[in-house]
Amino acid sequence: MLKCNGLTKAYSKVLFENLDLELGSGEIAAITGPSGCGKTTLLRCICGLEELDSGSITLNGEDITSMRTEDRGVGLIFQKPVLYPHLDVGGNLRLAGGNIEKALSEVGLEGFSTRSIASLSGGEGQRVALARALLARPQILLLDEPFSSLDHELSLRLVEDVRAVLKLRNCSAILVTHNKEEATKFADIILEIF
Amino acid sequence: MKNIGGKLSVLAFSSIVLIPLFLALDRLVWVAGFDPVQWFSAIEANHLSQGSVGFTFLQAILSTIATIVIGLPIAWQLGRYKWRGSGLMRAILTMPFVIPSIIAAMGFLAFVGPHGMGFRADQDTHLWTLIIAHAWFNMALVIRFTEPVLSTLDRDLEDQLRLLPAGKTLWGKLRNLWIPLLTPSIAAAACMTFIFSFTSFALVRWITPLESTLETVLADVGERAGISGYEVYANDLVLASSLIQFTVMLASLWLMSWLQERRQSLLPQASENSNLKANPRGLLILVPGLFFALAPLVTVAWSSLRIPVREQGELTYHWGVEGWVEAWSGGYSNTGVGDALLNSLGYAGITLIVALPLGWSLAKTIHELELSKSRWSRFLDVFTMLPFAFSAVMIGLGVLLGILKLDGELNSLWLLPVLPHIMLTTPFVVRIMLPAFRGLDPSYDEGARILGLSQSERFWKIRLPLLRGPLLVAITFTLAMSLGEFGASWVVARSGEWDTLPVLIDSLRSRTGWDPLIQPTAAAAATTLMLITLLLFMTVERFRPKGEGGMF
Repeated sequence: MLKCNGLTKAYSKVLFENLDLELGSGEIAAITGPSGCGKTTLLRCICGLEELDSGSITLNGEDITSMRTEDRGVGLIFQKPVLYPHLDVGGNLRLAGGNIEKALSEVGLEGFSTRSIASLSGGEGQRVALARALLARPQILLLDEPFSSLDHELSLRLVEDVRAVLKLRNCSAILVTHNKEEATKFADIILEIF
Repeated sequence: MKNIGGKLSVLAFSSIVLIPLFLALDRLVWVAGFDPVQWFSAIEANHLSQGSVGFTFLQAILSTIATIVIGLPIAWQLGRYKWRGSGLMRAILTMPFVIPSIIAAMGFLAFVGPHGMGFRADQDTHLWTLIIAHAWFNMALVIRFTEPVLSTLDRDLEDQLRLLPAGKTLWGKLRNLWIPLLTPSIAAAACMTFIFSFTSFALVRWITPLESTLETVLADVGERAGISGYEVYANDLVLASSLIQFTVMLASLWLMSWLQERRQSLLPQASENSNLKANPRGLLILVPGLFFALAPLVTVAWSSLRIPVREQGELTYHWGVEGWVEAWSGGYSNTGVGDALLNSLGYAGITLIVALPLGWSLAKTIHELELSKSRWSRFLDVFTMLPFAFSAVMIGLGVLLGILKLDGELNSLWLLPVLPHIMLTTPFVVRIMLPAFRGLDPSYDEGARILGLSQSERFWKIRLPLLRGPLLVAITFTLAMSLGEFGASWVVARSGEWDTLPVLIDSLRSRTGWDPLIQPTAAAAATTLMLITLLLFMTVERFRPKGEGGMF
């Protein structure tokens, strides 16, 4: 389903070179590795927020390497929940379209649609970001250390909840994390970058 | 409010602001009689003020629109893209706001008038010249209010939107991100621009001499008001104009305060984006913008050295320093530039000595009340902004008429202009120092207490060094405002001997009859004031906290 061939990206140092990656439909992968090894950059390249130096990416057989970010059908959840402070929870979800109440109930936040962004806790914020990302019906969801700012107990609970939602929807996903325990609980396969 | 200093500062501020204005109002009502219907009907009945309400609103609304149209694309380019020398560009583009309005008026007249580019041909173009001049003067507000939102916006917000269906198109991005995010900042800048245009004095007085705004009506008839049995209509006009201005400004300030709160809540970003991209095409906006910002100022300096000569009906020019010689020797005025500058510096110095500690103490008191969660904090916060609801001419008249009520002899007191200057500058000191106090980490003071430092030691060794930046901004801002203040000084200080530099420039420009050296002399005096203001402005820019935006 997702196929990355010979991905190369370098700034002042080479982050990854000739990297190949394949992910099947509904499969969940975790990428681990030390800080600065290029995990986040890899995700940003897959969704088109960064340009690759070389290599190609295909998604469901379609070459998306040069496609606009907006048209790739890829979802991304950032390290901290990127929620728009001028909109309430419902307003943020409406940006993705779909059934807001159903999406909120899926992530355990029933009745949150009129809540302001400022009133959300870190965990609630990430759940809203997940609900919104899934509402957009991405072909693959990328998660860039979304649990790292939460406390241990909460992050593990959220890891399980998010995995359950993704499996329920048969949505493929790649999680970037430096936490091996988190990776083991979340993913079907674990890749390590050095 | 436990501390004695706080109580004293509130008492002093109340006395300085409220007593003269209350006395002035009392005097005017005593002469005119309490008949509001008569006051307001006098505006349209009197030829001096006929049409002034409509013209005031018209020029203020058009000026606000023009300012947004000119300022916003510049702010976008500065905030969204990487520019070499962006600090210098920012300084140049925001400079017009600190330039005394009398210099702005001179610059525009010299630039578009018959001795410049000759655009200002008839009465129709007078209005447009005024609007462009107001846009020039106020575009810094749009830049300072919106650019921090643009430059510090978390890029993740944009990137996230690109990945969502609602952000796929340009309109989607505008509708869902940029418009809601920028609207409070644009509206706040528009509000301030409207207030400044509504009460603009020097620019209206010089650029549209055939039209009156409420502010110029106040200035023109004010000196005839307050005298029992003498030209009673003047009292009606002053009362009606002041009340309209006060109401409009109070409403605008309330709106502004509400918008500022909304604006702050939409600013979750912390630091400036470092990975901005270059955009060479943006030069098509920035270069004309820089030219627009600099042209009137350069023209003032240029016209101080360009001497017109009329020979056999032909007008020619030569370069010379005769204007500078006349300006400094006082050949065309009661005082030379040197004496007027000394007067201005003297007034500015005394203003600083009073306004700075007063503003500091008021800001500190408000902050302490906020920390103790006292309801008085909000009241005092709003109360210190009260002078913002009065225009410069209104304050000048308030002082003049208030003092007249006490003792007519006091009107010739040389110290008199200091009072309106203190009224006008103290709220600015409070506005600069209050965020600084709020942003000061309380643990610094607590740590010093644990170390055993006394209150005065903590002030000198901890608080003062930590607040050095905003304090220097407040000092230079107070000096610059006092030096360039024109409206109130024009009303209060027109004895000749104690002319300030802006009043001297105005009196030089006002000389009737053609004399080849009048324009260069006035321009030389204006250039002197401009250079001092620019020096102060560059100092402010060095110490201004980055990324906060707003007026200061």
